[in-house]
Amino acid sequence: MNRPRPVVIAAIVILQAVATVFFVGDAVTDLLNAPSAPHSLLEAFVAVALILGVIFAGWQLRVTLERLRSQERALDTARGALADVISAQFDAWGLTPAERDVGAFALKGLDVGEIAELRGAAPGTVRAQLTRIYSKAGVTGRAQFAAWFVEDLLETGLAVAEIDRCGAATGQHERPQHRET
Amino acid sequence: MTDTRTNAGARDGGADAPPELWDPLVRLTHWGVASAVVANGLITEDGSAPHIWVGWAVFGLLALRFVWGFTGPREARFSTFPPRPIAALKHLSDLLRGTPKHYPSHNPAGSIMAYALWACLGLVVLTGLVMTDAQSPLSISEQKAAVAAGDWSVLVEGEESRDHEGVKEIAEETHELAANLVFVLAFLHIAGVALESRLLGRNLVMPMLTGRKKSKRDAGAT
Repeated sequence: MNRPRPVVIAAIVILQAVATVFFVGDAVTDLLNAPSAPHSLLEAFVAVALILGVIFAGWQLRVTLERLRSQERALDTARGALADVISAQFDAWGLTPAERDVGAFALKGLDVGEIAELRGAAPGTVRAQLTRIYSKAGVTGRAQFAAWFVEDLLETGLAVAEIDRCGAATGQHERPQHRET
Repeated sequence: MTDTRTNAGARDGGADAPPELWDPLVRLTHWGVASAVVANGLITEDGSAPHIWVGWAVFGLLALRFVWGFTGPREARFSTFPPRPIAALKHLSDLLRGTPKHYPSHNPAGSIMAYALWACLGLVVLTGLVMTDAQSPLSISEQKAAVAAGDWSVLVEGEESRDHEGVKEIAEETHELAANLVFVLAFLHIAGVALESRLLGRNLVMPMLTGRKKSKRDAGAT
């Protein structure tokens, strides 16, 4: 992201506001002492410009903050949506609760030893569960298993409208068709 | 971005768990005012030019925060944390009983503290302006430079200025009193933050430094 960070904008707003207070204070003094002097009028003009600048920068900050927040919300939604997609697909493959857990850990990138430790199971058991998951999913191994879920994101981007289609997909039978198109 | 997605985000907890608790403007004005209080209370000489410059800067920071209290994001707006003394007392007793509620912005006790500090700081700034005839720090600096150079004519007080002696004396007393009150409140504020951080088991200082309730990594892991 090349947009200025909010903290930079905020720092500039604050700097401008403090500078404006100093300048306006001086301009008011001059204006009271010599209301019609060109110097006073110029200062008054600059003071107004400064105040407008602060308002504009503050508004920019507000807009940037709002945008960042909505982006973060969208990211959360996408995360949640991906979890939904995965869950629906695990259902479609008919994974057992234990296999779902192991499958989820595998997708998060944990290796057999780590999964075994987390689940308090023997590595051999985890390896057997992974093999069953891959066979139910019709994939050859972990890389293909993970790629199964990533593929959609690469092809269509993160559009929520797409998720209904993915969630409704009932199994891997539909996938080859999808891939060829 | 579609509306559905925004709404879904809010439903999934996006609303009650803002990515950022305190926005950068709130954070920077907070630490700006804090350092100005330390500077003018402990470092600069009372009535000196630097003291007045810092005072005017605080005026700017307060004014900006005031406007932001109406126009800023939800957590920064006054309407999110109205002063409610009874709720504040209840929050304190809840806290001691170990059953405090969580609030999206200031908790009621913190909110009262914020308003009390703002009121005192506003009073300090206002009385400071009265004491210096609301002359801008620039002209005061120029005057001091002139006096230092041997031109004492600027020290001759006008008729008007002498009439205000009484007002100025009251302003001076109030200035000192309010400034001391700011220090007492700041101490209570720090003690309250320390106590609540301890009792709630969460660091209340981090969000004011970095804006986040927890680190990015933790947020991503949930």
